[in-house]
Amino acid sequence: MPGLRIDHEKCTECRMCYVVCREININAVVVSPTSQHLLEIDGRCTYPKCTVCLMYCPAEGSIVEADTGRSLVPPPPEVWTEDLRWPRQP
Amino acid sequence: MSLSTVNAGAALADQLRKQSEQDAAVTPIDAVLDAARAQNLTGDQCFRLLARLWTLKRMMYYVYGGWAQGINLNEYPPAVAYLFGKQIYDESTQEMQLCDEILRRRWARTQKQLFAHSYAQFGTATRTGAYIFCLRALANYPQNIRIAALNLGPKVIELAWTERFAKLFPDEAVHALFQSQLAETRSHVLMGKLQVERFVQKEVDIELARRLCVETRRDYLFFLEEAARFVLGMEEEKPGEVTVSGDID
Repeated sequence: MPGLRIDHEKCTECRMCYVVCREININAVVVSPTSQHLLEIDGRCTYPKCTVCLMYCPAEGSIVEADTGRSLVPPPPEVWTEDLRWPRQP
Repeated sequence: MSLSTVNAGAALADQLRKQSEQDAAVTPIDAVLDAARAQNLTGDQCFRLLARLWTLKRMMYYVYGGWAQGINLNEYPPAVAYLFGKQIYDESTQEMQLCDEILRRRWARTQKQLFAHSYAQFGTATRTGAYIFCLRALANYPQNIRIAALNLGPKVIELAWTERFAKLFPDEAVHALFQSQLAETRSHVLMGKLQVERFVQKEVDIELARRLCVETRRDYLFFLEEAARFVLGMEEEKPGEVTVSGDID
């Protein structure tokens, strides 16, 4: 189960999370195979080791912790720290 | 049928769509669907299919980039630009989906590897290239003409074969992928209908649209032929072997 989830009530579908996740070759953000083509996060997500999507998400509350539902946008200080925000090579 | 009626654009839209639907009844890519339904399509062939479609979709960025430069200020109402933006976004979504599925199955490990993979190469001296350059050349025409040529030509054919793949393709994930693209592709055809009905009225524009629609349809069918042969591992066509009726005048 992925560590992160997208809250579609708040997500603007700007696709920045998709782009940065693809950019670092984790590829956990995908276009869902439904007519709405919403973005989803799948099991390849390595959160909390990687938090790169949180850095670039512009819509408050649109990425949440899957287990707790806690909003991670903007990232809380303990999540978004200098040494955690960019992942090591997968 | 004479087009010199009150709304010549409406008659033209109807005519172009019907002509394209005739070409769409059976296309070369349907051979791939037949193979899949007969359980004769391997994983590698499925990869080839998605890779060729992905290559075409991503080349649409190149096409639309050229077209966007040719939208003149105040030439059309904002709706035309809006619909064009929507179409670019949709093509982008579909490109992303195809890439997603390839990466999910680990046929390529990264997007970078996929770009370099032989199945996903864009060759200029190919049928894919001919189709893309045909579309790119439409940048020289007004937006209403090129939308008529694409959205009531190849898009009608794309919609038809996608509907068949969405209904009958046995692989669940690929089936869902095509199914999810139907509404967008259908909307492109309807967007074409709207724009032709509203903005193609002059006799010269009607003639141009008719001519260019035949050309784009023909080149798209050639692309489908090339893609199907590649997926199924058939020999490349010999000169003159493949012909598509394309009487322009």
